[in-house]
Amino acid sequence: MLSHVALVSTLAIIAFLIAYLVIWNASQIVMSQVAAIYLWSHQRSNTRRARALVGQTVSRPLVSIVMPAYNEGVTIVESVLALLALNYGPLEIVVVNDGSTDDTLTRLKDTFHLLPAPRAFVQPLASAPVRGLYRSTRHPGLVVIDKQNGKCKADAANAGINTASGSLVAIIDADTILDRHALTRAITTLLEDPTTVAIGANVGIVNGCRVRDGRVEKISLPRNWWARFQIVEYMRSFFLFRLACASCNGVVIISGAFGLFRRDAVIAVGGYDTTAVGEDMDLTVRLQRHFRELGQRFRIAFDPNPLAWTQAPEDWRSLRSQRYRWRRGLLQVLWRNRHMIGNPRYGVIGMAVLPYAALFEGLAPLLELAGYVVLILGAVSGTLTPHVSLAAFAVSVLAGTGITFAAVVLSDLGTRRYMRGRELLLLIVVVFVENCGYRQLNSWWGCVGTYQTLTGKGGWGEMKRKAFEGA
Amino acid sequence: MTRFADLMFRIELAIALVMVVGVVVERAVFGCWWAWRQRTDRRYGSLVRAALDGDDAAIRALVASPARHRLILAAQLILPLIDDRNPDRIARTRKIVTTLSLVPIADRYLRSRWWWRRALALRALGLAQVRDRTASIVAALDDDNASVRAAALDSLTDLQDPASLQAVVVRLHDPSLHRGRRVAAMTAFGNACEPFLLDLAEIDVMHRTDYALALAVCGSARARPTLCRWACDSRADVRAAAFEALARVGMDDGAARLAIDALESEHESVREMAAFALQDWAGPGDAAACLGRHLQDSWRVALRAAQSLQKMGPAGLLELQAHAHRQDSAGDLARQMLWELQPQC
Repeated sequence: MLSHVALVSTLAIIAFLIAYLVIWNASQIVMSQVAAIYLWSHQRSNTRRARALVGQTVSRPLVSIVMPAYNEGVTIVESVLALLALNYGPLEIVVVNDGSTDDTLTRLKDTFHLLPAPRAFVQPLASAPVRGLYRSTRHPGLVVIDKQNGKCKADAANAGINTASGSLVAIIDADTILDRHALTRAITTLLEDPTTVAIGANVGIVNGCRVRDGRVEKISLPRNWWARFQIVEYMRSFFLFRLACASCNGVVIISGAFGLFRRDAVIAVGGYDTTAVGEDMDLTVRLQRHFRELGQRFRIAFDPNPLAWTQAPEDWRSLRSQRYRWRRGLLQVLWRNRHMIGNPRYGVIGMAVLPYAALFEGLAPLLELAGYVVLILGAVSGTLTPHVSLAAFAVSVLAGTGITFAAVVLSDLGTRRYMRGRELLLLIVVVFVENCGYRQLNSWWGCVGTYQTLTGKGGWGEMKRKAFEGA
Repeated sequence: MTRFADLMFRIELAIALVMVVGVVVERAVFGCWWAWRQRTDRRYGSLVRAALDGDDAAIRALVASPARHRLILAAQLILPLIDDRNPDRIARTRKIVTTLSLVPIADRYLRSRWWWRRALALRALGLAQVRDRTASIVAALDDDNASVRAAALDSLTDLQDPASLQAVVVRLHDPSLHRGRRVAAMTAFGNACEPFLLDLAEIDVMHRTDYALALAVCGSARARPTLCRWACDSRADVRAAAFEALARVGMDDGAARLAIDALESEHESVREMAAFALQDWAGPGDAAACLGRHLQDSWRVALRAAQSLQKMGPAGLLELQAHAHRQDSAGDLARQMLWELQPQC
């Protein structure tokens, strides 16, 4: 009798998991088609001539780039140099030293000849007290704010937004290297459609690339396997989910590595929430909610071109803490905005994007691990034959592999990176290996992150930084 | 169960393998295309340069090239014109484009059912300034596809044909066209737009704000009396836009008096733009003292006032120094502006 119950329950669970896998597969296939159409259409209309529009504009908007920095001494100078080399003006660069305990401020002072300078600004957004304000004698547009540590990036970003003079603010990470044409491309989108309130972009992984004078000179795959896995992960994330969302004004994440926002829109929603774990997703969803509740016409755009480059963690401890944090951030945003899920008032966000995020991003790690446990228990108890268990595991791995390859094709069509001879072969190997071990590890981290969310544990974690290659 | 698992496995394996093959094929196709493109570019690069230098033999060699290479040649000839708008170069390019019979190809593309072909043709005609196609380009401003309309406006901007000026100006408020592109087109025509704008503004009172903002881009002293009249309009947005335009076209005594009076307006946007309009004013009216009083106004107005004082010259400098000792936001603004005037900046 007991064995019969066990068999029925195992089969029921397996049936549920198979149904989930089939729906997930179908959703990914649909998403890849939608993303492909969006990418194709974007490339057709975003021509070199279209991008010349910014050059023809007499009164270009002042853009303030806000770069929060906490203990970023290793990369800060390269990052600021990259910003100074941008081909857009008028430009203001606001570096926020968030109470760093390393030599971040000293390096900035020495390299850019900073002097204490008076600066008037209003503080519509709350942040930890500012200790000092410096301006460069060599680069008039460079402003450095030295403030007390606010315990989170959101606090530093808010301080930077307060000080920013521009009507547009670009929020970037301190280890981000912006493409020289990043702002020109983003501003083109804004000039074309004035209802645009925010613009996100594809973010590339800089590990393995050669960086000189703040510019990515040569793009190649990194030697570190953790970084390689993250490259295919980024491809999947940016070229499937985000592109598909962008096609229907449903962007819910503008990466913290690079996002251009209308300053008044960010202030209208209260800026970055210092209690949010995933402050970038939290802000984007609040923007969506704000404008949808007001019933105003608005757009949050996404550029599939890699406008920014960021360092991926190369050691498993940094990666693990990053993934715990991302997981907690996702669940927190979903919980805070649970009233939007399935609510037609919020349009595509309420009816498609957030339900998808809840079902396939929120539940996926738990269900995936549950599936593996059921397969192992089934095989051990004899409810399932080892052949069936292995076949089911292979199905799960191959499903992920197929979808990842779709993302690789889209990435190649969109960016033309990593795809010459040996690198192409290596990338194919990385895709297979990523689905046979790394993905499962990620699911485990997702489960731990879920546990941390439920118990209120976990902190920001530590990221080991290293200098850019070739710098 | 076993059969079902096997079936699922086979399906997923097939999908994964198809995708791997897809990646390899996509890359191989692109690689081949890229190699062909590079080879063709190399083959014609020197000929195109020689043809642009007036070498008849090079032009004859280009004319003798296979028809399938025409688009590559068009790209080599026309794409550099995006950045290089030298009239001589454009004229030489247009001559070669005509000799190579590329214009009939563009005509065919203009009639294509595919929007990207229509957009491509429009951009090419505009960049090469093929002015006998102006009518077709103007007609494309009403195309069903937004990207084609955008390309048509870009094309008219590049074309700079006076015959298309009216078509551009009357579409100043057309929301189906990108705003940035409408402004870029006006900018390209410059002062030539001014008479049309002023005439249209007299008839179309509803859109006065748009006309004022357009005059801010391409207006001259000729527009000043009209702008001064609009600076007394009953609508605050029109007054603000008029002062913004006056800031660009330049002030005279009358305009400065209006701006000084407008500093006391109940509307923040009007005060802000009035402060902006006074930025270079060094004539009568004690504008500096009036602006100085607004350093304690709302943030937007105070900032504009401080910036105008900074640009105003000696009178502004004195006013800023008078406020620099204060410990409030007016003092902060004054100190910031004075710091920025120091030699290290």
